Amino acid sequence: MNRLNWRKFFSSPKWVTVVWVLGLIVVWEIGATIVAGVKRTPENVLPHLYQIIGSVFSTQKVNGTQTATQIVLSNAWVTLERAGIGFVLGAAVGFLLALLMSRFTAVEKMVFPYLMMIQMIPILGMAPIVLAITKDIDKSRIVIAAILTFYPVATNTLSGFKAVEREKRELMYSLAASRWDIYRKLLIPYCIPYLFTGLKIAAPMAITASILVDTLQGGGGLGCMMSQSLKHAMTIYVFWQIVFLSAIIGILSYQLMVWLEKLLSPYPKELRGNQGKKELTA
Amino acid sequence: MQQARKLPEAFTGASDGVEIRIQELSVRFPDKSGTAVDALTHVNLEIRQGEFLSLVGPSGCGKTTLLRAIADLQQPTEGSITVRGQTPREIRLQKKFGIVFQNPVLYDWRTARRNVCMPMELMGIPKKQRTETVSEMLDMVNLLGAGYKYPHQMSGGMQQRVGIARALAIKPEILLMDEPFSALDEFTKEKLNEELLSIWSRAKKTIVFVTHNISESVFLSDRVVVLSPHPGRISAVVDIPLPRPRHLAIKDTPEFGALVAKVRNSFEGV
Repeated sequence: MNRLNWRKFFSSPKWVTVVWVLGLIVVWEIGATIVAGVKRTPENVLPHLYQIIGSVFSTQKVNGTQTATQIVLSNAWVTLERAGIGFVLGAAVGFLLALLMSRFTAVEKMVFPYLMMIQMIPILGMAPIVLAITKDIDKSRIVIAAILTFYPVATNTLSGFKAVEREKRELMYSLAASRWDIYRKLLIPYCIPYLFTGLKIAAPMAITASILVDTLQGGGGLGCMMSQSLKHAMTIYVFWQIVFLSAIIGILSYQLMVWLEKLLSPYPKELRGNQGKKELTA
Repeated sequence: MQQARKLPEAFTGASDGVEIRIQELSVRFPDKSGTAVDALTHVNLEIRQGEFLSLVGPSGCGKTTLLRAIADLQQPTEGSITVRGQTPREIRLQKKFGIVFQNPVLYDWRTARRNVCMPMELMGIPKKQRTETVSEMLDMVNLLGAGYKYPHQMSGGMQQRVGIARALAIKPEILLMDEPFSALDEFTKEKLNEELLSIWSRAKKTIVFVTHNISESVFLSDRVVVLSPHPGRISAVVDIPLPRPRHLAIKDTPEFGALVAKVRNSFEGV
């Protein structure tokens, strides 16, 4: 094969993905072999990939009553349900806050710096505080997921409200539209793609945050099982199954937002705002 | 130039055939660097009912500012504008202005039909009547077949036609058009010029049309108002006595050429 064909081979995006996945598998397997050679625990902390896949379909009861997969799935529901509730709440609060900030400059000036600050507190520091306040792991999961969601949603939606072209507003003004009509017919439909930019960032984050909150207490949930599994209170395969399941759910939650956006705003995002950019003063 | 007659308020309605009366209008606003610019100074103009009037001039002559002042999008610094004896604000609140912008200003998330429909939704017109009017308007601009297309699926000329249909859908008394065809290619522009004249002859609206294209203004108008910059002012009002209906072939006649030259020679300080 000559040089040109090789270049084509490697620059096609499909092959880039294949090469990456193959590379990761090779590195993983080398790692697993090395770790197996130096292990000081009865179970290999970094099992081979085929062992992890095998554990998914294994019928062996690992805690007396459930298989590894059953443990993962039953705990996944607890975590994901709270992450979902927090996500919806956070998105709603974020959207309403963006609406208020776009309507009243004073609100924006008052609220925006605090939004930034909340975002800067590490979630590891915030989670125990929220747990201490709510005294309930379920509520904490919801609150943390909501806090992580509402910032990207609020900022992106606000930038959408601000991006509306002057002529589009003037058209509404010339038609003597009420403020309610301006929001309903122009501003809210306009900022929906912006809202979804925020939602796409927030969805995987809400799930990660909810898993993190689980680790704080022993009351179940994916994070709780992960830490137990890491401490050898449970088979290590539970840990690895959760890692892969979380990654898959994160990607799926993103895809769900992509799909919802297509459903709600049926025009290509890259084409929005192409008109009306030119200034009108002459 | 038309002399603004001083009449008592009661007689300044539409009864004397004057639709829009502009008296001693001045508009001053800060430019980008913050210094005050005289966008318009001492403008006097009477626009007749049913007239097709063009405002033509180079950039910075205040033609768009004048249109925006009529539309209540720009507040006058001095002087007054009355439309049918009322203020522009009152006319705007009655939704009697149809505005076509330089850009089509379509809402990207709405199909052509729903864009045309939007102003009628604001007016609370029943759905059945809205649907009928939308079809009627799209038929008028020859776009009936493209009703379910989104703006990004249409050419610039089609988008602007949707914009015109939307402006006409609310049956405005006055159609204000701000360089509506300036972003289009020459062929599309000439075709739309002809279409606009045919729409105007059927709809019987007063049209105020802003352009920087002299030939376009002569082809379309009953009268061409020539504006000059620094400060923005009216330097001439040229009557266009060409016969109607007009077709593109009229542009090749010597009369047309003479009128274009007359408008061109009316500019000052360019």
